[in-house]
Formats: sequence, C-alpha cells, structure tokens
Amino acid sequence: MVVIEGLSKSFQTRTDKVLAVDNVSFEVAKGEMVTLLGPSGCGKTTLLRCVAGLERPEQGKIMMSDRVVVDRDRDLFVPAHQRRLGMVFQSYAIWPHMTVYQNVVYALEGKRMSRSERRKLATDALEVVKLSELADRPATRLSGGQQQRVAIARALVGQPDALLFDEPLSNLDAKLRIEMRTEIRKLQKRIGLTSIYVTHDQSEALAISDWIIVMQNGRIVETGRPTEIYRYPRTIFTAQFIGETNLIPGKVAGIDASKKQVSVDTSVGRFVGISIGAAIKPGDKVRISIRPEDLLLDPPLAEKSWNRIKAQVDNSAFAGSVVEAELRCGDYPIHCLFGRDTDLSPGIELSLGFSPEVCVVLPDDGSFADDSQTKPKSDVEQ
Amino acid sequence: MEELAAAKPVSPVQPASEKHGAKRRLPLDWRSIVLVLIIAFLIYQVIVPLVGIIWTSLKDVRPGDREFLSVRWTLVNYVRIFGNKDFWSATVNTIYFALASSLCAFCTGAFLAWAVDRTNTPLARFIGMFTLGRIIIPGILITVSWIFLASPSIGILNYLIEWLTGVKRVLNIYSFWGMIWVLSLELSPLAYLLLSASFQSMDPRLEEASTMTGAGTWRTLRRISLPLITPAIGAALLLLFVLTVENFEVPLLLGGRAHVRVYTTEVYFNTARTPTDWGLASTYSVALITLAMALLFAYFRLLRQGEKYQTITGKDYRPRRVDLGPWRYVTCAVCLVIVFLTTGAPLIVMLYASFLDRMQPPTLEAFRAMSLDNYREILAADARTIGAMWNSTLLGLGSATVVMLVVSVISYYVHKTRFRARKALDFLSFVPIAIPGVVLGTAFMWLYLIVPLPVIGTLTIIGLAYLTKFLPFSLRFVSTSMIQIHSELEEAAAVAGVPWWKNFYRIYLPLLRPGLMAGWFWVMVHAYRELTISLMLARSKNRTASVIIFDLWENASFMGLSAFGVLMFIVLIVLVYVSHKISQRYGIQEQI
Repeated sequence: MVVIEGLSKSFQTRTDKVLAVDNVSFEVAKGEMVTLLGPSGCGKTTLLRCVAGLERPEQGKIMMSDRVVVDRDRDLFVPAHQRRLGMVFQSYAIWPHMTVYQNVVYALEGKRMSRSERRKLATDALEVVKLSELADRPATRLSGGQQQRVAIARALVGQPDALLFDEPLSNLDAKLRIEMRTEIRKLQKRIGLTSIYVTHDQSEALAISDWIIVMQNGRIVETGRPTEIYRYPRTIFTAQFIGETNLIPGKVAGIDASKKQVSVDTSVGRFVGISIGAAIKPGDKVRISIRPEDLLLDPPLAEKSWNRIKAQVDNSAFAGSVVEAELRCGDYPIHCLFGRDTDLSPGIELSLGFSPEVCVVLPDDGSFADDSQTKPKSDVEQ
Repeated sequence: MEELAAAKPVSPVQPASEKHGAKRRLPLDWRSIVLVLIIAFLIYQVIVPLVGIIWTSLKDVRPGDREFLSVRWTLVNYVRIFGNKDFWSATVNTIYFALASSLCAFCTGAFLAWAVDRTNTPLARFIGMFTLGRIIIPGILITVSWIFLASPSIGILNYLIEWLTGVKRVLNIYSFWGMIWVLSLELSPLAYLLLSASFQSMDPRLEEASTMTGAGTWRTLRRISLPLITPAIGAALLLLFVLTVENFEVPLLLGGRAHVRVYTTEVYFNTARTPTDWGLASTYSVALITLAMALLFAYFRLLRQGEKYQTITGKDYRPRRVDLGPWRYVTCAVCLVIVFLTTGAPLIVMLYASFLDRMQPPTLEAFRAMSLDNYREILAADARTIGAMWNSTLLGLGSATVVMLVVSVISYYVHKTRFRARKALDFLSFVPIAIPGVVLGTAFMWLYLIVPLPVIGTLTIIGLAYLTKFLPFSLRFVSTSMIQIHSELEEAAAVAGVPWWKNFYRIYLPLLRPGLMAGWFWVMVHAYRELTISLMLARSKNRTASVIIFDLWENASFMGLSAFGVLMFIVLIVLVYVSHKISQRYGIQEQI
C-alpha cells in the first residue's frame, strides 16, 4: 500500500520557480496498479521520482506499508536505497558492463542470503520474464524489448514492497509495446504487486491499470477506473485526452433530477444527456461529449428517448475493421466509426442517433482544445 | 555521391535532369584532382619526414652527403645506442618520470572533475572555468615560475622557509620530484578536461537504478560508477602518459641540473650540438615514436571499448550530484588550493619578479625598490624581443587559419564523399598524433636540408611543421561538426544544379562555423605557446616568444624573463579576448 498526502515539489529554473507537483494526494491499495497519466510536463514523472526517493519533495507525506518514508513536517526522508522498491526506467538503465544475470543478481547483493539462494532467486526472476537462455549474454547485446525484460526482472527480484514504472514502454515500437504491456499486466496480477505506472499513452493506461489518475500542470484532474474514466469523463480535458470524442457546445436548458438527465440546447438541436461531474444549473455553458463509436447510423425508431441528428459526409476512410468517417453537422465536425461494410460517398446526408447514456454533459471550463492540433496521438508522441 | 551521379533519373522531367547529370561530371573530376593534390601534400608533410627519420637512423653519414641517398643501410647507430649506458638510463628516466607525473596529474584532475561535476561543492563553476582557462598559459612560463618559487638559490619559498624555521634550501625544484611536481601541475587541467567529459556523459539513471535495488552510495560507486568510467579513466591515463613522454619544456629547463635526461632532451641535445649528431638524434626519435605509437594504439582500443559502454538515450540529462554535506567546504578548499598552485602562484610570482632588479623575498624593501626597468629594457634595448612576440602572433594567427582551411577540406572528403582514397586521407591526417614535437622538429630540419627550398631560418618552416602537428586535433573539431551536417543538405543543392566548390563554400563552411571557430581558437593558442618545434627550428630571424624565454633563461637574465613572460601573457589574453569576441559576434549573426 502506498499513501501520498499533500505532496509538492518545485524546480528552480534560471528565471523562476516551476511547481512540478502541486499538492497531490492519492492512495494505492495493496496489489493494485495505479497509472499516472498526463501529457508531457504534467509532473507525473517527478511525482514518481518523489515516491522512489530520487527527488526530495518540499511538502507532504508518503507512507508505504504503514511505514512513513517522507514527512516534511517532521523533516523525515528515507533515502531511495532503504525504501524497498523496484523501479523500471524509461531508458531501461541496464548496466552495460554486466551480463544479463549479473544485472539481475546485483539487486540482491545488499540482502542477507546465501549464494545459492541468490542464484535461485535471480534465475527464477529471469524465468518469469522468459530470459533464462540469455542469462550469460552481455546486457548490451540485447534488443530493446529484451533489455526491458531484464529491467523488469531486476526490479522484481528483490521482492519489493511496490514497483514503480517510469514510461517503461515508450522506447519500444508499437507492436512490441502492446505485447509488453499485456505481459506486464499479467505479471503484476499474478504476483499481486502494488504498482505505480507512469505513461503519457492513454491506450496503455486504459489497458494496464486498475485505477487511472489523470494529471495536468502538476495537479490531479480526476481519478477513476479505466471504464469509468473513458465512459464518464468529468472534465473536457479528460474527455479529449483519453480516447477520441466529439464535443458540441451548448447551454443547459433543463435538469431532470430524478433521472439525472440534463437537456442541452445547441445550434444543431436539443440533446438529452447525463451529468456526473460538477453541479450545473440551467443557463450554464456546457459541451456535450459523444464517443465516435456511440453514434449509430439509422437508429431504431423504437428507441424514443434517443437523440437524433442529421450530418453530411465530408470524407471517409476504410481502416480495416472499421470505417472512419468525418461528418459535418452544422458548424461542427463529427467523427464516427461505422461497421466495415458501410458504404459512404462524400456529400450524402446521414441520420444518426445516440442514447442519453452515452451523451456526457461537461461544464465548459474553457479547456477545449482544437482536436486536430493538440490531441496527443499515442504513437506519435515520443 | 557517386551513386547519385550514376543513378539514371526516372522523374517525368527527364531532359532537365539529364542536363544536370552532364553538368555534374566536370565538378566530379575537379574533386578527384583536389583529392589527389591533398593526399600528395599530406604524404609530403607527414610520411616523408617520418620515413626520413627512420632512414637517417639507418645511416652513418649526414644528410646532404652524397652517400646519404644510397640504399645501403647500417645498424651502426642502433649498436651505438644500445651499447650506451646513457640510453638505458634515459629509457628508465623517461618511463619513471612519465609514469609518476601522469599519475599525479591524473589524480589531481580526477579530484577536480569529481568535485566540480559530481558534487555540490561551492564555486564549482568558477573552479571549472579557471582550470580550463589555465590551459592557455604557456608551459615554459609555468616551469620558469616554479624555478622562481622553489629553486635552491633564488626560490622565494626557500627564503620563506628559512625565515620561518631557519633551515636553508629545503626545496629543490631541480630534482626528479621537482620535475614531476611541475609537470603534474601543468597537466592536471588537461586531465580534468578529459575526465569531466566522461563524467558528464554518464547516464545518471544507471546509478539511480542501482540505488533503487537498495545499494547505498558506496556500493553504487564501487560496482556501477567506477566500472562504467574505467575505459575513460584508462584512456585518460594513457593519453597523459604519452604527453608526459613527449614533454620537453620541463626536462629541458629542470632536467639538466637535476641530472635527469630523457628521450626528448637527448634528441634535442644531439641536434643542437655542432656538428649535429643526426644518427643519434634520429635513433632516439625512433625509440620515442615507437613508445608513443604503442601507447596510442592501446589508447584507441580503450576508447573504442568506452564507446561500447556509452548508453546514450537521447534524453538530455544532468549528472547526479552527490550531496557532501559540510564536507563540501573541504573539497572546495582543496580545489581552490589546486587552482592556486596551477595558476595563481606562478602568475603572481612572475608578476612580482618582473618589477624587481634581482630576485628577493617579498619584504617592504623589495616593494620599495620595484620599478618598470625590466619592461623598459625588454621593450627598448632589445629589438628582437618585440620581433619574437610578433613572430609568435603571426604564427598563431597564420597557422590556425591555414590549418582550419586544409582540415575542413579533408573532413569534407573523409565524411561526405565515397572516394576510396578517403580512408588514406583519414589515416594520413591522424598519424602526426604519434609524432612527438622534438621528432617533428628534427624531421623538418632534416627535410629542408635535402629539399632545396630556402625556408630554413624562416617562419614558414615552423608554420609547415605546425601544420603537421595540429592536423589530428583540429580535424577532430571540424569532424564533429561535419558529421552533424546531413548529406541531404548538399544533395539538395547538387540537385538544384549548384557546382561542388560553391556548395562547399556556401553550405558547408557556414554550417561548420562552430567547429571551425573552436578549432581555430585551439590551434591559435597552441601555436602561440609552442616551444619544442620552434626551438628545434630556431635560427636568428625566426625566434618565437617561447624561444626567447628559453634564451633569457639560458643567459640567467631572470628579471628580464619575468617582464617578457608577463608581456607574452598579456598579448595572449588580448588575442584570446579578441577572437572570443569575434566568434561571439558570428554566433549572434547565425541566430538571426
């Protein structure tokens, strides 16, 4: 278990002070994997390094398995090598002057145990990451994926209280990344290790975590299970950062408290959606968020409660399993995903529908970013 | 490039491209001609003198003799040398002297690099800057000022010790350990430079990974940090060792009275005596080159191993600094003492001596007797001193400019073309690194006894020798910039139909400017302060400032020497300042 309370850390640059982590608190339950997710420069790595003991926070408290490791009020700071943690670095940080086996067994050197015990533990750890055959190979003569496995074995072998991952997959190519993240997830579940995982890749975060913590400018924006956070984002920032979405601006027309439903007037019609985040009242400026896969072509007439819109096809692209369509509804571009046999020619008008359940009403906090320019694509951003 | 020219254009605008293809054939020929010329020039500059030395060592007649050019060799010089006790004592001296002083220099430099780059020692930036800046001070000035400080007869420190304790002549700089003291102080800034680069290029994540496994500072240092920089340490040690073997100033000025003769001084004395003993001088040279080559071979093997360890991740990182707690004031104090010993003390004593009429301890009396007489004498009475200063300046500026021009063309061929001969070019410009200054001086003297060009006794012969000497290092400066320039930049211009020489002038030279400026600066400073070659080739008209210092030292006119040394230092500072300003100005222009 890891508990973090009111943690702050700033850096002194030449001109001013930058608050990298700003009063952050959260908890990681035993055996769970929590992901810190955010764009680069949001403070997630600094936060992780504070937990590791590689940075000294200015304020706050960190507890691990009921042991306080940082408490700035009492001026307590346990150095990194006494925290019983394992860490996987972005650059792997494999020691180039050692073999694979030496890299792993080094992590046991400080522990009181016999030589044979050490040997067994290291061999087991290499077994777990499927590198037993390469144990005597110089560590530099491995591929990127294999080096990453060595780093994981090294972090695991000492049986740490918690495991920290600092963007461990961002130096791998796209295919290997997906393979490795599945493996990391399986391993973490099997061993039941408490883990904190830092990434800027939203699809990685969705696939790997029990909980996601979305960060922006050193603060926590929101926290939730991957499904929750994807389906019911509470802020425009999260809705845009995780997955793709269509955001249409409007004003709140009415609130049905019993059904938790909100009706919103937009320039392309009135829609009914749900609201989970901050309290909103009639007349507030909002945006509604609908995921591309939730817009259905020619919705069944029986669904009386559904929202309906008409949109023109601007462009469509066949992408194998789906057809990606760019539509236009009034002034707003709408992105849609249809079944792969859908035949769309530019200019035709489609009628679309979506249930109020998938239409999330978000308060307009001015954080809307023009999709086409600022959306971080997982494969592009390195 | 050849591929580009050979490829048949398949674009729709075929006629136009074909025209370009026809046009490009002529510049291609020009490039080959220039290449052949450069290779021929390098063979003349590098291989001929080297072969000459070996040739002479196998001859029992002087160069210029008719017998000399015949292909009848003899081992008589080698027999003479190996049978001589002096040779073996010189060998032992060379190795002991080089070993001890390179180790001392290394330890000092390593301590500085560690304190400045890897700890939170206060004033680190200041200490680093001073240590690097110190490299420009001519070695002979440092050596002479240590004579002022610790010679048994006139050393100020000896006066002070006598005054404090009553014991006379405690320190003697004219001794084996005195030589080591001076040389290790002189080389420690270079050791710092060599090590600080590798300290800074180490990925701190490797150490953090060790910390995360539960290893404390000590185990991380012993098992991770040290093994990782071992190749760099080995390489630095070897290079320092080579430089101490090749060092000339210190054994020349101190070794005579200390009765420590080494290879370099043996070469010099056998050349300087009349008649010149060419056989012995060249045989000693061959021994010196053999030693240097063997060491350099080991050096480059280590360097390659070090590169294998380098795990550059592309992320820019700052090295992790160790928090020393209160100890940081101790390290700071030690660093400041080192800086004072390498830089402060020599400069102060030289300045002090330059105002006195005879060497004496700093008493009130001495300060009262201070005057500018020495300067007046040096500047007015002796016209050749001004001439020497001018010679040095001219050599510094001239050889820096010529060397950088030649080197940028060489670098272009080596890195940006696919001529098969470019390997030879690379090799030829690298060989001089193994030729010590004394050998180079001897070789060039020998060369122009044979080649009927009237250059002996002029600045040209010194400049030509400098061209060979500074080739390897200046090529490094340019090549690092050259590698960064993508060939596509030139290819784009070539496709646009711009001729090759215009490409070089308009695209490469401006982009190479940072490397060229750095290299120019380096050559300028080193050519200005150089003593070995200029002394070997000195006649009456072409004496440089460093040679004049040596003359003044031989005549025991120490006070005039101090004044001249101070002037020489001032001229150097002005040169450095002006060229720094110029490069800064170009830098700003580049940004616009």
